[in-house]
Amino acid sequence: MKRPKYLVGMIAIFLAFAVGLVGFFLVSEGSPDGLERIMGDHGVEEGEPVYHAPLDYGSDYLSALVAGILGFALVLAVTFGYLRIVRRRGTQSAKK
Amino acid sequence: MHIPDGLMSPEVWGIGLVLVLPLIAWAVIKVDRTMDERATPLMAVLAAGIFVAQMLNFPIGGGTTGHLIGAALAVVLLGLPSAIVVMTVVLLIQGLVFGDGGLTALGLNLLNMAVVATFTAWVTLKLVPAKRRTLAIPLAAWISVFCAASACALELSLSYALHPGQYGITAWVAIPAMLSTHAVIGVGEAVITGGVVIYLAKVAPGILRLNLERKDRTATEASDAGTEEQKEVPS
Repeated sequence: MKRPKYLVGMIAIFLAFAVGLVGFFLVSEGSPDGLERIMGDHGVEEGEPVYHAPLDYGSDYLSALVAGILGFALVLAVTFGYLRIVRRRGTQSAKK
Repeated sequence: MHIPDGLMSPEVWGIGLVLVLPLIAWAVIKVDRTMDERATPLMAVLAAGIFVAQMLNFPIGGGTTGHLIGAALAVVLLGLPSAIVVMTVVLLIQGLVFGDGGLTALGLNLLNMAVVATFTAWVTLKLVPAKRRTLAIPLAAWISVFCAASACALELSLSYALHPGQYGITAWVAIPAMLSTHAVIGVGEAVITGGVVIYLAKVAPGILRLNLERKDRTATEASDAGTEEQKEVPS
């Protein structure tokens, strides 16, 4: 059984991102990223969004943290849900 | 590097969407057929981790920041098709739920970060002999960011060429500016990817071998099968 290997790996990644990076939020900067900076420097305005997303990352530490936790949970749930649908067929073909 | 709405010309984002859909479809079918169910939680946690990592901006000087893309990390841990799927989920949720990257630009964002970044990282790792592959991980991470930025710069240039002043940024500005900032951001990507891989190598060495050495493992299996056949022949 190789299950523990994956389990340990999963927990290790979870700890690295969930604990390590939430702490890193403290030093995270709100400055523009590479693309935004270039747009700003050359007077290119960000267009009016065609679609308004229900949530955003927030503008302070706390709201960004909440958005981060929400996003983490959402991505986890969507990926896991998707793969659960996929894996039934996947394992069947793998077993031959 | 998430492209907002209204920056790229309709032709450019249209082509991006048309190009990226079959590539993602290929990855989805590939994952569908070869998925190892034991890797499901690992893949889900990695996707969620990459989402969080992309929210964190590290300063690169001059009031500019960069964030991890995570494509190289996903390739190292999951292989190319699964990495494309993971990056696609992350980008879809960023675009649709959190408004990071425009809806019209979704195809281009997927092309740059889910396909170009993962593919170039994968190619880099494949070009390096298996024994030295671990050392090439930071290089693969840097190349993935640099190539994704190059793709973005080309899209900006093409948009400008088609509709000067209305969309995009002229190539003379976009290409050097995107490449120089992302050459630095790529170093951040290389350091973080390398760091996470070193950490995982210590804590959970099994998962790193999983996909990097799949080719070698199948080669070993093939040679094992070969010896078995040879044994069977005399008997």
